[in-house]
Amino acid sequence: MSQIDWIVLGLTLLLIIGYGLYKSKTSRDLDGYFLGNRAMPWYLVLLSIMGTQASAITFLSTPGQAFEDGMRFVQYYFGVPLAMIVISVFFVPLYHRLKVITAYEYLEQRFDRKTRTFISLIFLVSRGLSTGISIYAPSIILSSILGWNIYWTNIFMGGLLIVYTVTGGAKAVAYTQQLQLLIIFLGMFGAAYMVVHLLPDGVAFVDALKVGGKLGRLNVITSGQSPEGFQWSDRYNIWNGLIGGGFLALSYFGADQSQVGRYLTARSLSESRLGLLLNGVVKVPMQFAILLIGVLVFVYYQVNPSPVFFNKAVSSKVISPAEKIALDTIEYGFAQKSVTQAALVRQYLANEADTSVVPAMRSNLQAMNADRKAYKELLKKAVPSADTNDTNYVFLRFVIDHLPHGLVGLLIAVIFLAAWGSIAAALNSLSGSTVCDLHQVYSKKKLTNDQEFRLSRWYTLAWGLFCIVVAQFANNMGSLVEAVNVLGSIFYGVLLGIFLLAFFFPHVKGNAAFYSSVITQVAIFVLFRASSIGFLWLNVIGALGLVLLALLLHVTFGRVRGEGK
Amino acid sequence: MPEEKVPVFKTWNQWYVFVLLMLGLMIAGCYFFTQYFS
Repeated sequence: MSQIDWIVLGLTLLLIIGYGLYKSKTSRDLDGYFLGNRAMPWYLVLLSIMGTQASAITFLSTPGQAFEDGMRFVQYYFGVPLAMIVISVFFVPLYHRLKVITAYEYLEQRFDRKTRTFISLIFLVSRGLSTGISIYAPSIILSSILGWNIYWTNIFMGGLLIVYTVTGGAKAVAYTQQLQLLIIFLGMFGAAYMVVHLLPDGVAFVDALKVGGKLGRLNVITSGQSPEGFQWSDRYNIWNGLIGGGFLALSYFGADQSQVGRYLTARSLSESRLGLLLNGVVKVPMQFAILLIGVLVFVYYQVNPSPVFFNKAVSSKVISPAEKIALDTIEYGFAQKSVTQAALVRQYLANEADTSVVPAMRSNLQAMNADRKAYKELLKKAVPSADTNDTNYVFLRFVIDHLPHGLVGLLIAVIFLAAWGSIAAALNSLSGSTVCDLHQVYSKKKLTNDQEFRLSRWYTLAWGLFCIVVAQFANNMGSLVEAVNVLGSIFYGVLLGIFLLAFFFPHVKGNAAFYSSVITQVAIFVLFRASSIGFLWLNVIGALGLVLLALLLHVTFGRVRGEGK
Repeated sequence: MPEEKVPVFKTWNQWYVFVLLMLGLMIAGCYFFTQYFS
């Protein structure tokens, strides 16, 4: 990074921290700290919802995902608009009417205290862990680029955002997210423009799309069908996107306090609904655009020399001369194929009507992918502790190697800001749930508003420190965007199931709800460990499984009571 | 809490139909995009 990049990065981060502190003034009570006095207009709610969901992982991993697997990942977001409608109809009016601070308060009113406690614990564990990964994601960037120690980088990364999150609560979080998103969109637009600009003469934007399409990267809609029938282990297709993704979005936006806390900051029910529904409309195009940048980067490397492995820091760890020679041999073979690929792509673009060159392009790409696989396997053997999944490094490597000074600094800042937006909201909600669902419920000491306000700040700080500790252990998790989604799917089925049960089965009582949620959570763990089912289905199985089990237990408990009489 | 005026449309149901239409359009757009470039 050049001096100008450092200046851009430093100034951007300082601007956000300063703005967050400037917007920190709020009333010294729980409503002020966790919900910004319920005074936000719809557009702040929308930006806050978007800023909370879009983490650094979104901007780091998503282009890499498109580079390796194509654009079909966008189908995962097709369920979001459906979920936004369901939440607007059933969840939001209830939360507003009951004037709750956390979603789990409602569960005590509807079922009992133990169910509220168990579900809030599920939220705290899952959100705490995934926030740790969200701290780790931008930290690998710094450690990779600057050769900094990853552990110290995590601490540095987590510490900066805690400053304004602890001080200003939900209000500071919402206002900084607004500014963060503005800078993020500016940076990503700059990156997209530059990728197209950097394509060689004779390769225009539409040509890049044609090449991406012919090489299987514009597979936006896939059915999950194969000659053997529907592939249940297929991770992204339109069906698990709409159904599994819908259930996941329903859990995330309806029952995860990090999102519920955002739209409860709205000054009215209408403003909450509007923010949510517009999020449903803009989410898919936004992800589509980020994935498309990944495809453009892919095409760039089809017509230019491509690295065999994008995370240079790992390759430089190999010490054994024999292994180094073996890796160099693969790299040399890959470089030759890369030159061949550029020539084939040129040949195709020179006469698109003649598609006879397409099979050669595809088979050469397959050979390149085989080289990449062999390189990674050898690297893993040489450095067993290394993370050889370089999905997260593709976009970053491109930015550092090819974008102009200033824009590199801005894009590094984009990744920081995206991380801060989601981490800040998560810390605020983790603290909110700890104070409202655990501390207030189980502490015998009655606190004043000011004492609760100060306690909330301490809990925010404590959760910040916890998440930094988790970040220290987040290495070797593969694609980070998938790691977060997999983690969500393990817990979110139960989280959603309990709310579905509460809304649609009014006769089911506390014991059936509690025991069914505990049993279903254990069953989901077992299913995840023992089967290869696509993780998005875990949401559906968890949510529906819990409801069915609760109905069964309700009948059983009813019979036992009946026989007891 | 009293229900405030619905922005842009007359009822919230119209908003839900609008969001569903947008989803349909997005999926159709993505489908044709896939077909056109594959």
